Amino acid sequence: MDFTLVRILLCLCLFATSLICRAQESPYIVTYDHHLEEPGNLEIETFSTIGIPRSDQNTYIAPYMELEYGVTARWTAELYLEGQGTAGDSAVFTGWRLENRFRPLKREHRINPVLYLEYENINEASRIQKEITGAPDLTSPNAELQPTKDRELEAKLILSSSVHDWNIAGNFLTEKNLSRNEGFEFGYAFGFSRPLSSLASGQNCRFCRENFIVGAEFYGGLGSTVDGVGFGDAAHYVAPVVSWQVSENASIHFSPAVALNGLGSPVLIRFGYSYEVRGFGNKLAQLLGGRH
Amino acid sequence: MRVDTRAGCRLLVAACMIVGALHGQNTAYRQDPSWRAPQDAAARTNPLAHKPEAAAGGQKLFHRNCTECHGDDGSGLAKKHAADLLLPAVQVQTDGTLFWKITNGNVDRGMPSFSKLPELQRWQLVLYLRMLKQDVAPQTKDPRK
Repeated sequence: MDFTLVRILLCLCLFATSLICRAQESPYIVTYDHHLEEPGNLEIETFSTIGIPRSDQNTYIAPYMELEYGVTARWTAELYLEGQGTAGDSAVFTGWRLENRFRPLKREHRINPVLYLEYENINEASRIQKEITGAPDLTSPNAELQPTKDRELEAKLILSSSVHDWNIAGNFLTEKNLSRNEGFEFGYAFGFSRPLSSLASGQNCRFCRENFIVGAEFYGGLGSTVDGVGFGDAAHYVAPVVSWQVSENASIHFSPAVALNGLGSPVLIRFGYSYEVRGFGNKLAQLLGGRH
Repeated sequence: MRVDTRAGCRLLVAACMIVGALHGQNTAYRQDPSWRAPQDAAARTNPLAHKPEAAAGGQKLFHRNCTECHGDDGSGLAKKHAADLLLPAVQVQTDGTLFWKITNGNVDRGMPSFSKLPELQRWQLVLYLRMLKQDVAPQTKDPRK
């Protein structure tokens, strides 16, 4: 089953490269910066995380689809649908998430805060690892994990700066499981990135340096109020990131993450494809007979 | 339980779309008198002013990032009721002011910040905005519009 998923994702990547050539997308997979979706635009994204196993684990692939909509220039809403397939086990739907990001300040500052609030309706088989607060259970079978539901509220403080061509971003998160008492869990993510070229060339080119953004991110858990706050009981990763804008509306992202301790998967291979539908809100309003 | 989750997802997507359709755009463009660049920002000069060839890159960036609201010709009002970039009120602004406005946006009026673009690319956009004015023949464009 997981091989079928890999084939589908490879087909999507090939499809992306066949499109003709948009706004620079953040290359981060886990870290958020302060740039929100442009108002009225819809971004459709599909990402996957492949977990390379330790000796007592199996390889898994955890794909998710993300619909990101710019409600206003200060508010972006996202819906996630996620799944997971484990070699020698099964493929399961692991839930959905609804995420909102708000930009409280009107202007750009040295440090730009964004407030993030997310509701998750997932189960214990979830392995997309969009945020890390502890370490996922990678040894129990899906049949045992899937029935255990996790309804969680997650809040993040996103701080981000644009320094010349560089973006530097830091996220601090706290998560509360509403399904059972796990206390408040904490995590972090930091990243920096920059495009390979500061100037845009006059030609429409696919392999121009300006179409590539490179950087690195660091993310991991900081424990919980129940088990104690600290670095010890959670996975931590360091990951180079690269995004390639293959067309006007599409970009491809890739990031291999390496574990800094013995928890979780030793290596996570992450990749994704995003496609932006410009003026989606406007088109929808026209379709519904609303104002133009 | 699964049925409930699907129904919930559909409701949430529909809610996002409807709210977005209602709030995504301005209904009409009116200049915002409070949207003013600080003096030091307005006084900045375009480092690409003596490199007119960089405007070609600015044109590409304009079509990627700006035409959705301002239209291919920059007139704006025809599409999403955004600013008409050919208006004298826009063109008399200094390079530094235009750069500051591109960088900061005017989020309460629907103009996003474009600080995600590298600085030089924002200056390329300013360079191209100046060329927009030159591209428009006077008889085809009423500057008072």
